Amino acid sequence: MEEREQQLPITTNSSTPRQTPTTGLNIVATSKVLAWLSNLTRFHAGYFRISLSLCGQALLWKTLSEPTTDAHALRPVIHTLPSAAFFFLWSLALFSLVALCLLYAVRCLFRFESIKAELSHHVGMNYLFAPWISWLLLLESTPFLHPKTASYLVLWWVFSVPIFVLDVKIYGQWFTKGRKLLSMAANPTSQISVIGNLVGARAAARMGWRESALCMFSLGMAHYLVLFVTLYQRFVGSNSLPAMLRPVFFLFFAAPGMASLAWDSISGTFDNASKMLFFLSLFLFASLVSRPALFRRSMRRFNVAWWAYSFPLTVLALAATEYAQEVKGFISDALMLVLSVLSALVTLALLVFTFLKTRDLLPHDDPFAPSSSMSTAFVMPTLQT
Amino acid sequence: MLVTILEELSHQMENKDLQVQLSTKQGFPEELPSLLKCITSQTIAGFDSVECGGMNYQTQLVTIPNPQEDATAGKGLEAAELHGQVNVIFGPPPSSPVEATDCHEPHAISVSMPASPSGLHIVQAKKVLFIDKAGPTAIDGQPNQPSDSDSINSRQPQQGKFHSQPISAGNSCGKPTEGKVSDPFESQLRIPRNDSQRDKRFDPFKTWSGKLERQLSNLRGKPQEPDLEAANDCHSAENETVPAVDRYFDALEGPELDTLRATEVSVLPEDKKWPFLLRFPISSFGMCLGVSSQAILWKTLAISPSMSFLHVSLTVNLVLWCISLALMATIFLIYFLKIIFFFEAVRREYHHPIRVNFFFAPWIACLFLVLGLPPSVTVNVHAAIWYVLMAPIFCLELKIYGQWMSGGQRRLSKVANPSNHLSIVGNFVGALLGASMGLKEGPIFFFAVGLAHYTVLFVTLYQRLPTNATLPKELHPVFFLFVAAPSVACMAWAKIHGDFDYGSRIAYFIAMFLYASLAVRINFFRGFRFSLAWWAYTFPMTGAAVATIKYSMEVTNVLTQSLSVGLSAISTFTVTALLVSTIIHAFILHDLFPNDISIAITQKRPKFSKKLAHLRSASSDMKDIEASLPKNNPELEL
Repeated sequence: MEEREQQLPITTNSSTPRQTPTTGLNIVATSKVLAWLSNLTRFHAGYFRISLSLCGQALLWKTLSEPTTDAHALRPVIHTLPSAAFFFLWSLALFSLVALCLLYAVRCLFRFESIKAELSHHVGMNYLFAPWISWLLLLESTPFLHPKTASYLVLWWVFSVPIFVLDVKIYGQWFTKGRKLLSMAANPTSQISVIGNLVGARAAARMGWRESALCMFSLGMAHYLVLFVTLYQRFVGSNSLPAMLRPVFFLFFAAPGMASLAWDSISGTFDNASKMLFFLSLFLFASLVSRPALFRRSMRRFNVAWWAYSFPLTVLALAATEYAQEVKGFISDALMLVLSVLSALVTLALLVFTFLKTRDLLPHDDPFAPSSSMSTAFVMPTLQT
Repeated sequence: MLVTILEELSHQMENKDLQVQLSTKQGFPEELPSLLKCITSQTIAGFDSVECGGMNYQTQLVTIPNPQEDATAGKGLEAAELHGQVNVIFGPPPSSPVEATDCHEPHAISVSMPASPSGLHIVQAKKVLFIDKAGPTAIDGQPNQPSDSDSINSRQPQQGKFHSQPISAGNSCGKPTEGKVSDPFESQLRIPRNDSQRDKRFDPFKTWSGKLERQLSNLRGKPQEPDLEAANDCHSAENETVPAVDRYFDALEGPELDTLRATEVSVLPEDKKWPFLLRFPISSFGMCLGVSSQAILWKTLAISPSMSFLHVSLTVNLVLWCISLALMATIFLIYFLKIIFFFEAVRREYHHPIRVNFFFAPWIACLFLVLGLPPSVTVNVHAAIWYVLMAPIFCLELKIYGQWMSGGQRRLSKVANPSNHLSIVGNFVGALLGASMGLKEGPIFFFAVGLAHYTVLFVTLYQRLPTNATLPKELHPVFFLFVAAPSVACMAWAKIHGDFDYGSRIAYFIAMFLYASLAVRINFFRGFRFSLAWWAYTFPMTGAAVATIKYSMEVTNVLTQSLSVGLSAISTFTVTALLVSTIIHAFILHDLFPNDISIAITQKRPKFSKKLAHLRSASSDMKDIEASLPKNNPELEL
């Protein structure tokens, strides 16, 4: 991220080339800038995993530090942490989200072909939900904005309408294009669309808008049912996930966890339905964690897919927190503690890895580029600006 | 000299576009020759007559042909002195009269393994040469030259009497072959030599390939077996683990995947009765399920207020419960012995796509026992028992559901079958028991997990996907398992919630509908071979009866009461009929525990499957054979 900060001001230098002996130098500078710009635009939507994780983490910390009626084991621990730490985390999340959005906007401008390719790719299209989910999570975890204010409402609308639009597009495709699309293209990242609806539902319920919350919830759950069955069947011939993307299997337990949280907000208490969804999420987590061999191949080299570990763990920790509030007991408190610590540690570890191995994280090529020869074509528009 | 012969052979093979396979120690994947000419039934008869008839064909395959046969059968080239053994298999030449008459049937060719008297002995590896029909013309003269072979006249019509054997390649010395299937052929080879020793044919299925048994017999003071044992171990192939799941689909057929296809051979001899422990399948626990669920039924009948007009006494429950307890203990003990002595066989059962579900049966039966506990024995059960009983179910679930989700070969679209309901029902039974004991969170946990996976399984089974290899085409008693999950789920939800509310009623009506839709098709349930697993299919009927009784407690009228009585009567009658059948099979027909073929399939498809099919059913048509041939790729293009 530091590299990006340094690189941004330099764009101003890439103005019109002059007809002087220094043209050669200018061309070199321009080409350097352009190459670097094309590097910039290689950030595909998968990078939003980072902002997703950080925003989720911010929400978790906020929830943990909320005053509750009972003094739980964890709360005193959280209270000892300075609130400045939470504010720092929140600003980091905000910053990463803004930066990634800007990068993606630049990519939209300069590599529109790639965007189109991304929209039709079975993994890429689901990550288009990720920015909006991150914004909604950030909105929920805002320290200075109360859910009942007008600005909260406006922002909710701003962030939820794109989710609706993407819903119509993607779920409509499942529905009308039939078997070829869903059975073949369904993969664990498809659950991000479900998670998007559920996050929107939770935010709406917080606002007090029960009907829209229920609407988004039912939309999410209906498609989750279809998706759950399809993913479990693992139809032969379906596009299998590359080994590097195995961390997204963690989304299997993110979806029911988020559903549990959403239903908790809608119905007011952590009732039986929320408990059942939470337990399902817990079971799937145990099932995945007891299969380390599944993730071995993806753990060889650091890449952006590793960030997929953090968000689901955070969601599970959030659900465990709500569960512990409802069911007061030693085991539920212990569960909340363990899961929260785990998610915090994982996020921290990922941050450390990112700072240490930034080179590994940066995109080397655009996986959605139509073809390699097109990359030079994208240089052309920039000359005219 | 033999080496040069082989080299020439191989060159000629390649030239003539034949398939020559050299399987070394490591075992190359063998391909079937593309063209095979078959032997006529006459020659088959001749073949059979030489080898004691078709019934013993399998035996011949895996044992050494007796010396008298060697003269007639040992017509092939048997090379001995290479560092491996070469068994050359080639078909009769085109000029043979056999082929003139039948040229459309595939030839199957095999080689016979000579016994030691002819001076050949298999040491370590076997090299197998497969030669196509065109080949023999070129090598006609050459294979007859080996001086140490008795047989020279290799061009007789009866020539094609070569045995094939399942080749399991690979071996290593000295490693403790725990969990590995040793080369069955190797061990079998030694049988004629040491008649006084115990039957080693079952060694591959014993724990540590029989070493445990030897150690135990040593401990007991039996005479030391000669050094051959050490040699045996040394030479036993160590690699072959359990067959992959595809092999189970290829080799077996039938609704319970327990019938060997006509083209397959069994690793163990089929004519001999295997050791009892080896024949004891895990599906025997179905008996416990059936009897203990009856105990629950009679307990419910006795204590339900809406059924009080029947005046059923609790003694029935007590008697049934004691019987089921005794039965449970017995079967547990026997299977435990099987685990100790035949661990390899247990592993193979675990990898069987249908039998794996029966590994839940012991724990479900234990749960039933606690549910059906007579009030006179005890009223309050400690919560720890529930945790103890649910722990194995939880671990098994983690494994099996995880395989559905992320495993490669055992994806649900391929292996889904009605027996999978056994893995789901455990959740609901555990939830029911936990809620009855007063626990709160645990029952909800298992209910949620069970419900989620039940939805997936239900949809998958209803879809009857074309890639599904295990779904029986015809109705079979296994379909009654469909009724189990909703009926137990409705009772569990009623207990968790406190009353028989809408959720329970929905589940109950689904269960009733499924029961009715199966009951009206009762005609289709005929004509199946009785097996012990049928006991497992009675507990859904009993579960439906208990659910109806619970429903009648909620909604008490003549209809529900008569329905309860009717369903209870049906379930009791079914169990009684099964009991009678079991007794008949056990004591009169003596085939209650037939040879468990489904765990004895080979690692790889046997070489000359077409010939085997012919031999096994000499009068069968080609069409039958083709129909029964397993498809190479059961997964269709979508």
